Amino acid sequence: MKEYTIDCLGEACPVPLMKTEKKINSIEVGDVLIVQIDHSCAMKNVPEWARTQGYNVEIDEVADGEWEVVIEKTK
Amino acid sequence: MEKKVEKYDVVIIGGGAAGLTAGIYCGRARLNTLLIEKSLVGGLATYTNEIENYPGFPDGSTGLGLMDLFQKQAKKFGVKFKLTDVKGVTLKGDTKIVETFRTDYEAKVVIIASGGKPRLTGAKNEDLFLYDKGISFCATCDAAANTGKTIMVIGSGDAAIEEGMFLTKFADKVIVSVMHDEGIMDCNEIAKGQALDNPKMEFIWNTLPEEFVGEERLNSVVLKNTKTNEKIKVDVDSCFLFIGYLPNTEIFREQIELNRPGYVITNEKMETNLPGVFAAGDVRDKFLKQVATAVGDGAIAGYGAEKYIAESEVFKDQIMGGDLPGIVLLWNAVSPECRALLPVIEAFEELYKDKVKVTKVDVYKSKGLADRLGVDETPAIVYIKNGKIENTLVSGITLENIESLL
Repeated sequence: MKEYTIDCLGEACPVPLMKTEKKINSIEVGDVLIVQIDHSCAMKNVPEWARTQGYNVEIDEVADGEWEVVIEKTK
Repeated sequence: MEKKVEKYDVVIIGGGAAGLTAGIYCGRARLNTLLIEKSLVGGLATYTNEIENYPGFPDGSTGLGLMDLFQKQAKKFGVKFKLTDVKGVTLKGDTKIVETFRTDYEAKVVIIASGGKPRLTGAKNEDLFLYDKGISFCATCDAAANTGKTIMVIGSGDAAIEEGMFLTKFADKVIVSVMHDEGIMDCNEIAKGQALDNPKMEFIWNTLPEEFVGEERLNSVVLKNTKTNEKIKVDVDSCFLFIGYLPNTEIFREQIELNRPGYVITNEKMETNLPGVFAAGDVRDKFLKQVATAVGDGAIAGYGAEKYIAESEVFKDQIMGGDLPGIVLLWNAVSPECRALLPVIEAFEELYKDKVKVTKVDVYKSKGLADRLGVDETPAIVYIKNGKIENTLVSGITLENIESLL
């Protein structure tokens, strides 16, 4: 089980979601992907997309206006 | 990935109006509080564009704006937020566990404020027009905005028919789609009679919604006759669905007492069947689901959480803990019979100084400690030795009888 981080700070939608989709396809089931974002629309569409895929999702507010979306690839 | 364990005084499940208010009360009482929300903070209220009946905002407020203020206030009092799904709970016992996929949260108190969602019809394009785009679930919320309009109501239960009649005070026409044969409705007979006599109400029998049609907003609803399969297109300004409400209580089902439709049963203190577990807001079995009532629930649950934790500490440290055996007098300050015993217990305390620990518990404000000691009448004496209840005395409380317990 590995943990990967992608830096999407300063990037507006839909870039974070596109990067997330690309990265998640390259990792193994059971791995965890952490997406760093500071754009509030990505805070909505990245977790929403991940949930519809059936992945586990958690959002951490690491600083004011900065979040980490933690996605576990469950299948 | 190794699961983390974090400890909190209070974990609140759900970040709608009830959960946020409970958070404000817990945070302000200096309890270490975590609020877990599965999607976005604010809950169902954020789906409403205009909230006009929440006191203090005479010009109205958007649901999102109002809930943003709630969250700011909770943050100000130090409430922490975690945005993720709760996967499971263990609610029995003194330490409760709330699991998310990365962390197990241990808490002394859990407040269930997970709300619910209205049941949908499943008709085509329904998702395009939900909430402020034409499909509504709350007559109290959206009636005024439909003044002079044509409305459709789906359903024929008590909620559908009673809310439909309420809507006729605003709308010009209320068309009700009923799935049953003509004259058959699921509501009570009185409501049925009134509805059939209401000149503003129209009924389309044997129908279910097939499709919702519109552009930005809903324009019409296509109904399908369940017998003939005929499709009927009805132009409307709004459509209200009253086909039930689904509380988010799946993960509590095995542990918390729910009523038949799945709502959490609480008393007026928002206590559930398990000590230290409270419920607040739409998830409760309650009369009116509004932001204003959720706020009241949340305040009570937050206050109750603080009281419960304080009582737990007194119970553990003062009453059951320590090396000395203990005598507890449960009394009620408003009862003369109880007050008359105070000199007796003080005399006993003087006599057994440094040998027996004496505690007086006034049950007038809270019955919590009495419940934990298994006593439901006052005055009563409980004798505790080695952290266990040895004996209870509920009548004939005299100095001699107390001594004879030892």
